[in-house]
This record gives sequence, C-alpha cells and structure tokens, in this order.
Amino acid sequence: MPCWPPLRAVLLALAVVSTCVGCAGKQSASGAIRIGMVTDVGGLGDRSFNDSAYAGLVRAKTDLHVDTTVLQSRSAADYQINMTVLANKEYDEIFAIGFLMARDVTEVAERYPQRHFSIIDAVVDQPNVTSVTFKEEEGSFLAGALAAMTTKTKTIAFLGGIDIPLLRKFEAGYAAGARQIDPSVKVLVKYVGSFEDVASGKELAGVQFSEGADIIYVAAGKAGLGAIDQVKERNGAFIIGVDSDQDAIAPGKILTSMVKRVDIGVFRVSGQAAARKPRPAHLTLGLKEGGVGLTDFRYTKSVVTPAKLAVLAKLRAAIIGGTLVAPSTREELASFKRIPL
Amino acid sequence: MNATLAAVMAILGLTLIKATPLIYAALGGVLSERAGVVNIGLEGILIAGAFTSVVVSGATGNPILGALAGVLAGMLLAAILAYVTTRLAVDQIVAGTGLNIAALAGAAFGLVLVYHQPGASHEVPALGRTGETVLVVLAFVAAGVLHLVLTRTPWGLHVRACGEDPSAADSAGIDALKTRFWAVVIGGAIASLGGVYLSLAELDLYSDGMTAGRGFIALAAVIFGRWTPLGATGAALFFGFFAALQFSLQRAGVPSELLQALPYLAALVALAGFAGRVRAPAADGVPYVRS
Repeated sequence: MPCWPPLRAVLLALAVVSTCVGCAGKQSASGAIRIGMVTDVGGLGDRSFNDSAYAGLVRAKTDLHVDTTVLQSRSAADYQINMTVLANKEYDEIFAIGFLMARDVTEVAERYPQRHFSIIDAVVDQPNVTSVTFKEEEGSFLAGALAAMTTKTKTIAFLGGIDIPLLRKFEAGYAAGARQIDPSVKVLVKYVGSFEDVASGKELAGVQFSEGADIIYVAAGKAGLGAIDQVKERNGAFIIGVDSDQDAIAPGKILTSMVKRVDIGVFRVSGQAAARKPRPAHLTLGLKEGGVGLTDFRYTKSVVTPAKLAVLAKLRAAIIGGTLVAPSTREELASFKRIPL
Repeated sequence: MNATLAAVMAILGLTLIKATPLIYAALGGVLSERAGVVNIGLEGILIAGAFTSVVVSGATGNPILGALAGVLAGMLLAAILAYVTTRLAVDQIVAGTGLNIAALAGAAFGLVLVYHQPGASHEVPALGRTGETVLVVLAFVAAGVLHLVLTRTPWGLHVRACGEDPSAADSAGIDALKTRFWAVVIGGAIASLGGVYLSLAELDLYSDGMTAGRGFIALAAVIFGRWTPLGATGAALFFGFFAALQFSLQRAGVPSELLQALPYLAALVALAGFAGRVRAPAADGVPYVRS
C-alpha cells in the first residue's frame, strides 16, 4: 500500500520512539549475539513457510546460544516498521521472511548500513543484505516424478496460492518431473488467488479431484490446509505437502512433502552471525545443499515402493551431478527434454 | 455428453457451496440496512462466527454447541454496532470498520490464547456433511422467512419504516431506536451463520484471514439484490456461480488472474446495469437522533 510520505515518516519516528522506550540497554544483558526475525503476513502457525523459518531460529537459539526475537506482521505496512524496530535495537542479524518484503528490506538496509539483513526467497542487491533463495524446482521435480509413478488415473494436479514467479518454480519443476517419468501423465494447474482462503483451497482441490486427478501438489500456504481437508474425505487420493513436513497433518493421505528447509537457511546465516563472520551475498540452497527435498515417507511406505525410491535416487543424483536441470519457469518447462536414466 | 453434464452439475454444486456464506451475510446485511443501519461489519461478524464456533466446538467436543456459540458471538458483535449506531448515533461506516478490525485482531489474539499458536486453530469436531447440507438448505429457508417477515409482519413493516423515515416511525409510536437495534442484532445472528458454515461445516478449523473478504462481497450482494432478501440471495448465487465457474475454467495456459477477477467483473457489470434503477432505503446509513 502506498503510504503518504510525511505520514510514513511519522509512523517510522513513532516506531523508533516506542522502540527506545522498550530498550533500556541496547545490548542484551549477557552480551550475546541477537538475531531478529520479521514474519510475512502468513505468520507463524502456517505449518509451512514461516514456521520452518522459526524452527531455524529456535535451533540457533539453543545451539548457538544467541538471543532471538520474532516480530509478526499483520499487514504489509508492518514489514518496514518491524524491521526498523529491530534495526534500532541494534540486532546483529535481521531476517525478513518472504519475497513480499524485498522492497522494504532494500529501503531499511539503505537506512541502516551498519546493520545486517537477510531475506528469504528474494534477491536484494545490497552490501549488507544476504539473499537466501531455494531451488524449489529441484525438490518439486522429485515430487512430480513420484506423483507420476504413483497416479492411477494418469492425471496429477498442482494447486498454487498466487500465480507469481516464485510459485511457478514449484509448478514447472513438478510438471517436468512428471514428464520425465511419463509424458502421457496430465498435469492440471490451478491457483487459489490467495494464501489464506482455506475454503477456496478445499473447493479447488475438490474440482481437481473431480477432473480426474488423484494426486495434488499444493503450494498455497494456509489455503493448502483446505486441500488437505478435502483429501481426508477421498479414498486412494493424495496430497503432496509443501515447505514444512506436513505428512503428519493427515497421516497416510499426504504422499510426501516437498520440504523447503528455510530453517537451514536461517540457521546457516545465524551461524555466521554468531561467529561474528561476514555473511555471503547470496546463499542458494538446492538438493545438493539439503535446502530442498522430499520427506521420509513414514506414513506412505506401502505406496512409495523400493522401485520408486530407486528412481527418485537416480533423479536426485542426476540433478546434483548437473546432468539434469530442473526447469524453474514455464518457458523452461516448454523446452524441457527428458533425459535417459 | 455425460462428461459435460457432470461438469455442469459440479459447477452448480460448487455454486451452492460458494454462495451459502454469502447468502447468510447478505441476509444479515439486508435486515440491518432495511432498518437504516449500513452494516460494513459483516466481515467481522463472519470472523466472530467462524472463530467462536471452532473454539467452543473444540472445548466442548460438541459442534452444535459450537455453532450456537458462533451465532451468539455474531449477535454480540452486532449488538455493539447496534448500540453505538442507535444510542450513540456514531457514524455507521466508522463503527462497522472498527468492528472488522476488532474481530480480525481479536480472533488472531484468541488463537494464541486458546491454542498457544498464532495463525490457525487445531482441527475440531465439525458439523460434517449433514451439517453442511442443513446449513445450505437453511440459507434458502432463511431468505424465504426474512422475505415474509419484512413484507407480511408488523415488525417487518416497522423495520422498513425505520429505514425510510425513523422520525415519522417514532411519531407513529414505533420505537425507532429499539427497532433498529434488534434488526441489527438479528441480522448479526443470521450473518454469523455464514462464518459458522465456513469454519465448522465446510472445514473443521479457524485460520486467520479465512473469510477472505466474503463480508464485503455480501455487501455488494445486498445492493445488487436491491435490499431485498430474495434479491440478495439471487445476487449471492450469481457471485457464487462465477466463482465456481472460474475454478473450473482455470487451466494451464489461461491467465488465472484474469479468471479470478471474473466474479468481480461480473458484479461490476451487473451493478452498472442496475444503476439508476436501485434505490436504497431513504434513511439507510443516517444515524437517527431523537429531537
């Protein structure tokens, strides 16, 4: 939301003032490194993206003995205010969780050149910002391959939150993985248009099932919870979860989850911060780095047979070895060619 | 041919599912506005119904009790709006907007209090398929009953009189403030069922933002339906149909943003077509102060 500049100045000033009321001492009592995190509007409790980032922060707190704080954002207007609050409190590292905050990180990082920031899922070109991105297409490729090997109706589906480039990485990788296994498998694609509208997520999953899909890969934030609710009522159908390990939400109905280890990204950067070392400008986490991947199929072992696991292992090795490049856009998907295994 | 028929049936079924929460919210809006109180707070009332019903169902293990509590919460929220807009003559738009913000934030805070996690509740015992069917049918029954109440009963006449000219109603011996108060509160009860439907019938959880603007679509349905219960129901079905249609039309290669805008474009076109032919209750949105 564009904000009238003088008003924004006042708001920021207020944020600064309220901050300084709260900070008797700017350093923590123990003198420990302090790491702050600002969630996006999805917020904690999404059992997905933000929760995964939070897990990394919790691990940093216990393993690295750093002090941590999380500020949640109720609306996009909170991003800059929350970051400014942490910057004013002289936090040693400030995480912005989500591409939605890219512009705000750029502005705040410019104003506070002596502070260091990290942004997840976006690239911000600033000397004091680490951009942490993931090769979602690689994990999604494996998810698509598994879905194509598992479907009985020769039809699988992708359900995204909002149709944006980030989500298309999931979509393209998934469709390519399915094509690698069996080009005759149909991939239905729909978007909810929201990451929060749980009911619409459920309804759209219902539409995709009725269109013949028996497996849906859902990358739709909280709206994805609706799709999981839908699959509970259907026999022989599966959801593939995303970001966090969602397998336990509906045991046996979630084939696997394409886990995006935002926690690893957060923990890695935190480790550098805790050691008071410089942070990299860009951290890209793919299959090779353990940044993305599938879960351990602990509830779906009967469906995910050793033969399928062997194929997945081969594909994984091919991606890590560089002989197979998972497409990350629809254009790359259009020109994607299967490779002989 | 059979596949086409199945697709059409699927869209019609989905239309009912999409329209039901809108119908409840729009009916609540109609009753309130016919008495002269614009209810911008419908979204907040949906949230209150959705959130409270889940919490109470989770705590008692009884979804029926949860649904009743959801309705009670909707009435309570509406009563606040009713009180400040009738007795205190506060600007109705400001009060309703305040209601929406309070409900959204209250539910978000409530999640932390009750479930010790922000964002979404746990899954709770829900009304299930039967409950969902009952609530869909009840929405249409409610529309019919409200139509009869407004057109055939003395109280309905009083409500309409207060929406047109509260001062004249008052001098005719109708307590305009009291009539407005109860119209808003009962409207809140009806609207809250839309929230109960979303969280406890269609789903089994509450999640922040899950009402996703349905209260505002319902406001449009009130106007599009010319402030009548049957018209608003028709408008809700119209919006529901286009939402269902875009769900089924979406496929690879078709820009999904364009299709997602379809229900709203349809609403715009429809409202533009009605321009000049619709007339709100004369005193709709005007605080009444006894002189």
